[in-house]
Amino acid sequence: MIEIKALTKIYGNFTAVDRINLSIRPGEIFGFIGPNGAGKTTTIKMIGGILAPTSGSVVIAGIDMAAKPEAAKSKIGFIPDRPYLYEKLTGMEFLRFTADLYDVRTPEFNSRAVQNLELFSLRDWADDLIESYSHGMKQRLIMAAALLHEPEVIIVDEPMVGLDPRAIRLVKDLFRQLAAEGTTIFMSTHTLKVAEETCDRIGIISRGQMIASGTTDDLRREANVSDADLETVFLNLTGAEEN
Amino acid sequence: MNTVRTLLAPRFWPISREGILKSRTGSRFKRLFLGLIGLVFWLGVFGISWRVLVYFKGIEEIGDILGFKLLSMLLIVSFALLLFSGILASLSKLYLSRDLPLVHAMPVPAYKIFFSRWIDSTIDSSWMVSLFTVPVFLAYGIVYQAGPFYYVTFLQCLFALIVIASAISTMGVVIGVMLIPASRMKSVFVLLGVMSFVGIYLAIRLLRPEQLVDPEIFDTVMVYVASLESPSSPILPSTWAYDAIRAALTGAALESCFHSAIAWSFAATCLFAALILADRVYFKGYSKAQTAPQRLLRKAAVNESLFAFLPGRLKAYTIKEIKTFLRDQTQWSQLFLLAALVIIYIYNFSVLPLDKSPIRTIYLQNLFAFLNMGLALFVLTAVSARFAYPAVSQEKNAFWVVKVSPIGLTTFLWIKFWVYYPPLLILTEILIVATNLLLQVTPFMMGLSTLTVFLLVPGIVSMGIGLGAAFPDFKAENPAQTVTSFGGLIFMILCTALIALVVVVEAGPVYRLFLASLHDRPLSAGEWAWIVVSFAAVFVISLAAIFLPMRYGVRQLEQLTS
Repeated sequence: MIEIKALTKIYGNFTAVDRINLSIRPGEIFGFIGPNGAGKTTTIKMIGGILAPTSGSVVIAGIDMAAKPEAAKSKIGFIPDRPYLYEKLTGMEFLRFTADLYDVRTPEFNSRAVQNLELFSLRDWADDLIESYSHGMKQRLIMAAALLHEPEVIIVDEPMVGLDPRAIRLVKDLFRQLAAEGTTIFMSTHTLKVAEETCDRIGIISRGQMIASGTTDDLRREANVSDADLETVFLNLTGAEEN
Repeated sequence: MNTVRTLLAPRFWPISREGILKSRTGSRFKRLFLGLIGLVFWLGVFGISWRVLVYFKGIEEIGDILGFKLLSMLLIVSFALLLFSGILASLSKLYLSRDLPLVHAMPVPAYKIFFSRWIDSTIDSSWMVSLFTVPVFLAYGIVYQAGPFYYVTFLQCLFALIVIASAISTMGVVIGVMLIPASRMKSVFVLLGVMSFVGIYLAIRLLRPEQLVDPEIFDTVMVYVASLESPSSPILPSTWAYDAIRAALTGAALESCFHSAIAWSFAATCLFAALILADRVYFKGYSKAQTAPQRLLRKAAVNESLFAFLPGRLKAYTIKEIKTFLRDQTQWSQLFLLAALVIIYIYNFSVLPLDKSPIRTIYLQNLFAFLNMGLALFVLTAVSARFAYPAVSQEKNAFWVVKVSPIGLTTFLWIKFWVYYPPLLILTEILIVATNLLLQVTPFMMGLSTLTVFLLVPGIVSMGIGLGAAFPDFKAENPAQTVTSFGGLIFMILCTALIALVVVVEAGPVYRLFLASLHDRPLSAGEWAWIVVSFAAVFVISLAAIFLPMRYGVRQLEQLTS
């Protein structure tokens, strides 16, 4: 569902992302972890079509992002880490705005908007201005918007930031449910516990390069540690990389 | 077009939802007040334009020529302003707006995103120029007794100029972003600032306004008249608009339509070219612009040891303010524009043919010096609006640092005051001294104006800092956004009132002193008393202008942030 080949991004003399290769199948939850400044967000932006790569390709559901960006983006529900929302719109207006851009027709919008708002406990605030929302509410609104057009791929950068434990549980359960229904989820996170509990496979990026990829057992073997948690595996792998 | 309409929706939905008047009482009052002020200015522009045109109409032989020369000047300057503001607006909307990642993640073609942003930036960059040129055109229509055709013509010509200016400036920005290395992206601002300086300078010099007051440059009256009639460059869109509007004023409808058609065909061509260009390179340029910015000046531009004599907290904030200012290249274009205005302001004094004025007297020179004092202080007000007024708002999300630090808000605001006061004082004193020297004023006027400026500069800076604190906008993306607000308008009005009040209070005594000097007679006791009381009043007004706004600012900021 997501095919990334030799994806590279160079800024001047600095290589932010260096020839990353990935293949993620339908219905898989793929976790993307790495130290700060490793290139996670740059990679996610390229996959989401917000940033043009220096070289390499991104193919979403068989559609090349560079050749047909609109068609590829229409398959994606994009959830950024620090969402910008139009503060002077209400929650419902923002959903309508998103739905219009994804060609969600009015009958479907009416039912899905209410459904998603209820799912994310925002129904009572739908007609309030976004500027009155807390950070967690904004995060949930952006998730509600990203799911309106029933995307085949969800790309999410730091999904749990600003969410309370109930919301975190909700998001985890939701991702599992969507994956079971065939949606591919590409998730970047710092919360290793979430990655361990939720993801089918995990990729570790460091200094722009994919240094390890696989299930948590695969990663333990790679790091030469057995029965260790993901944090230990991560620190071993990224520490070795830095050394 | 549906997609473009949707992309523009976030701008217009809040307005249509709230309506102009239907909102909370406080903001309704603010809008009414703003509307009233705007109406007063609008009527003022109309009144002055009408008066000037009626006067020109009354001058035999060359009255109409003068009127049309003024029209030409208006269109050239308007076009230059539209180009400049179009550059800044399009750079911001196309590459720097915070919602761009959200919009680019949507399945929308890049050229449609570009088009919606272009419409947005065109509105932002042109509404003020349009609003305040319309009364001038209306005055022309009334004075020249033009028919309905004229009113349609000037509106559509103005619209064509707006489209052309916006399309050209946007294409310049898109190309500039592609040409300049990504790490130097914000150097675009420096480049744009220099271009704006050159553009505005050329526009002003193209007009050669000093010719209007110096007929002796020309050998004969006919040469003078011919020079007034000489057309502007035929390849300028402002010339096509001028030709169309002038023809409409004089009843030559076909000729007017011809020139309008030229303007509109060029507008359509520019817009078409901009869309094609955007389709090719806009997204590439946007991707390029997302690199982490590199500093333009890698070496330390601030020698911290220079400020060692300052107390700790003042030193910390002074160094912070100067460093962040120098590293914020979005401010540099404002700096260039202000430098252009100041230089043009002084230069225009140097070309005024004062020695050829038929009523040249010491009285006239010193009258100019007195008025110049007001003008220089108004320039200071404009500069303070761009730099001192947004000072508190520029703390943005980092304001929490101020709140948790062991300095009170009063100290914080006074620190801000002392950071901006010295450079603004130096700027204004240079302005007043330079122009007074060009005006060849008496030592008394030189002393009076420099002292008055010295007394008023801290008041104006204090009002900038204080009112900026009372009406902060921590979410503004740039300083220019902060000042175009209710608080910014209050600041401009109060500063204008302060300057006018001081000028009026000083005018009487100064006039008495001149008359006494002219007639070589001593002043009476009553006159002396009046002079002393007047200058004492100026001193008290200056002190009040320094302390009252700061107290108000502290109080309001405390209420807002607690």
